[in-house]
Amino acid sequence: MKIIKISLLIIVALHFPKSLCLAQTLNWASLRQEQRHIVNVNAGYDYAFTYGVGYGYHLKMKLPIVLNVEYSQPAGDKAFDDFKTKIGGQIQLYQVNDFRFTAKILGIARRYENDYTRLFNFGSDMSAIAGYYRDKWFVAGEFGFDKAIVTNFKHTDLFRENFPDVKDGWYEPSTGGNFYYGLQAGVSFTNNDIFLKAGKVVQQDFETNPTIPFYVQIGYNRRF
Amino acid sequence: MKPTKSVLAAFFSGMLMFACEPELSIHESGNLVAKTADQDSSVPSIYVNGAQLHAEAFGDPDDPMIVVLHGGPGEDYRDLLNCKEFANDGYRVVFYDQRGAGLSERFPHSTYTMQVLYDDLTAVISYYKASPTQPVFLLGHSWGAMLATAYINQYPSVINGAILGEPGGFKWDDVEDYLSRSRDFRLFSEGLNDAVYMEQFITAKENDHALLDYKFQLWATADGGEDSPTGNEGKLPYWRSGAVTSNAYMEWGDEHRPDWTTNLQQYTTKVLFIYSENNEAYGLAHAQKVSSAYPNVQLFETLNAGHDMLSFPRGWNNTYPVMLEYLNALK
Repeated sequence: MKIIKISLLIIVALHFPKSLCLAQTLNWASLRQEQRHIVNVNAGYDYAFTYGVGYGYHLKMKLPIVLNVEYSQPAGDKAFDDFKTKIGGQIQLYQVNDFRFTAKILGIARRYENDYTRLFNFGSDMSAIAGYYRDKWFVAGEFGFDKAIVTNFKHTDLFRENFPDVKDGWYEPSTGGNFYYGLQAGVSFTNNDIFLKAGKVVQQDFETNPTIPFYVQIGYNRRF
Repeated sequence: MKPTKSVLAAFFSGMLMFACEPELSIHESGNLVAKTADQDSSVPSIYVNGAQLHAEAFGDPDDPMIVVLHGGPGEDYRDLLNCKEFANDGYRVVFYDQRGAGLSERFPHSTYTMQVLYDDLTAVISYYKASPTQPVFLLGHSWGAMLATAYINQYPSVINGAILGEPGGFKWDDVEDYLSRSRDFRLFSEGLNDAVYMEQFITAKENDHALLDYKFQLWATADGGEDSPTGNEGKLPYWRSGAVTSNAYMEWGDEHRPDWTTNLQQYTTKVLFIYSENNEAYGLAHAQKVSSAYPNVQLFETLNAGHDMLSFPRGWNNTYPVMLEYLNALK
């Protein structure tokens, strides 16, 4: 079972760059064929107050596809103790006039550390986006699922003072999952996009909420 | 070998080693959180009121009894073990983890009511009481002080005295008022990250006890951190934080908005009410407001200590003589 999971992770990791696309919020209507690169900075609330950077590569294909890598970390005194990286992409599956439908699949590697523990997780983020895209602006709705597939737990001496028998290692089954849904909108000018997205987060049982059950992100894209 | 192939070889080798590690169950008690008294017979416990409660008692069984009520809801009595010192000064000291908390047996979310806590406390007192005339004192900290007051309000004639350490409030509005200040983390602080960033790693259903307890413990680590206004000297020791019971009683409070002061005017025995110098969220004004529900109060400020003044050396050493003097005057 473990080997199957790991194989899947490897396959996902190796094939994302070849076949899929973006995590950045894009105005598909303003993305020109000749524009290959998209750099992004963003900030917002994503399970904590975070800031991040991203890069997207626009493939030369018939279907609009953008490959993407992202890094983000929460604000706080300790750099790099908590972070999230994503690799994957986004593809425009369907277009009717100015209405576009896209899918996004991302592999996630993320880390969390406090005085008691260090968690390292491999996960996935899949979402569907439908919206109205014009050259100068766009608005869309999104629905997605963020799955924490497999997590490694390593505890500190402080934790072991309280519970010496705690077991470190890889835990199964999946340690978590959150659905999210919301709206995204933006304006575009020359080679730039400014976007805002916000929505609600609910745990996979559709009943329990995180402490702060919302996400919001403001970002800037530069296309060239 | 080309660099790319070397990287891939190292990657696959690492993954192979990773794949050979045995996996652990996220839901199994004993992996991430301690087993409870009903799961581990080596945990000292008593069976009362239909629950296996983690409990211990120290001192001469015939001495006046002090029942220690821990905070939370959902925490345990490990951080109050300093109170064992009363056993050396002529008291029978009884500790127990409230149901669903610490190493006591867990129950479904829907079963937690205030009445069941009253009945548990009555049963614990009965279990340890050596004679009908043995005085019984309650020593409650934080939520434990709220529970002590709720119990006295319910049964004003059965308790011979009470020591109350920084209860959030005896009316739910006061509780909310205090919580809004004590959990006032800076938006961009490490403390807030520590509390909430892990929610993308771990999710659990309402009665998924072990996982919720573990998550709750990580959440609680923010308390006692540098960003916390509660002024503690460090992290509290614990056995297990009971997330389900904690959530149940906080939700119960939000829904019922209790007022545990309605009968307190009948309780004319002096109450020792303790607050701390370093808890920025509490202070004299809140202590006066909350304690005024009792007709006879001795207010005491513990210097050089935070909210958990009974758990750390400075606070304990500064408070113990006052508590002992109070109890000796009443026994």
